[in-house]
Amino acid sequence: MSTLNVANVTDGTTSVPTGYVVNGSAKAWCNVNGSGTIAIRDSQNVSSVTDNGTGDISYNFSNSMANANYVIVVSGGQDNSQGMARYSEATGSWRTYCYNEFSRDAFDGSVQSSAIFGDLA
Amino acid sequence: MIAHLWDRLADAKARLDPVQSKYRVLFENPADPEAPASVLVPDPNFMAAALAGNVLPPIDTYIRDQSVPDGQPKEHPYAEPVGAMTEEEAIEYLVMKDISPSIWRDYNGNRTIMKIVPVELIPSDRSFRNAWKINQAEQEIAA
Repeated sequence: MSTLNVANVTDGTTSVPTGYVVNGSAKAWCNVNGSGTIAIRDSQNVSSVTDNGTGDISYNFSNSMANANYVIVVSGGQDNSQGMARYSEATGSWRTYCYNEFSRDAFDGSVQSSAIFGDLA
Repeated sequence: MIAHLWDRLADAKARLDPVQSKYRVLFENPADPEAPASVLVPDPNFMAAALAGNVLPPIDTYIRDQSVPDGQPKEHPYAEPVGAMTEEEAIEYLVMKDISPSIWRDYNGNRTIMKIVPVELIPSDRSFRNAWKINQAEQEIAA
């Protein structure tokens, strides 16, 4: 594996500091099928997910975050009536909650996705 | 110099096919007996990295890092990677990494609170998901 050590990245016209690219990329993401037998469709920097109950999933980082002040972006559900929310975060894992937008009851959405932006340990 | 774990994981994802594990880990939290059983699902990219070797750090680095305060340097991202594991060894690694030691190491009660099971034993009908408990009837009795 090789490492490029450069201060700036340019397309020939516009130049940005490398830090913008490194700090601006998602440090982890995961797409889970939450219906039936729960399965991970694809991911980055995730070692496992934990099915805690209806609509309640924890995601475990392979490479921990430096602190718990990171951003969780969630999306998911099954049709227009389901939503997702952040539940909690720690350096080693984050947790989301999927629900029915009308009743607010927990719901096992078939697509439960999240992405993490922040600083790696 | 050892590459950062995140870079090694990104490299492994680019070159290895994901591996869907045939195992799941069922566990209950003894501190919250009313809560339903949880099911740990191994990540296919993580499993591929574990089976290939030279990507993941030693498990004891993760365990030591659990007591490192937020914002302080952690050991596991720059630890020397370990070699290839079998699928069973990778599941044991995940248990120690992603399940609380209060469940896999410290519990002394009589209930079975953790089981590694084939994925086929996990119900696909989630109608009563919040009532799931580990079946105590199948507990093996030591001779």
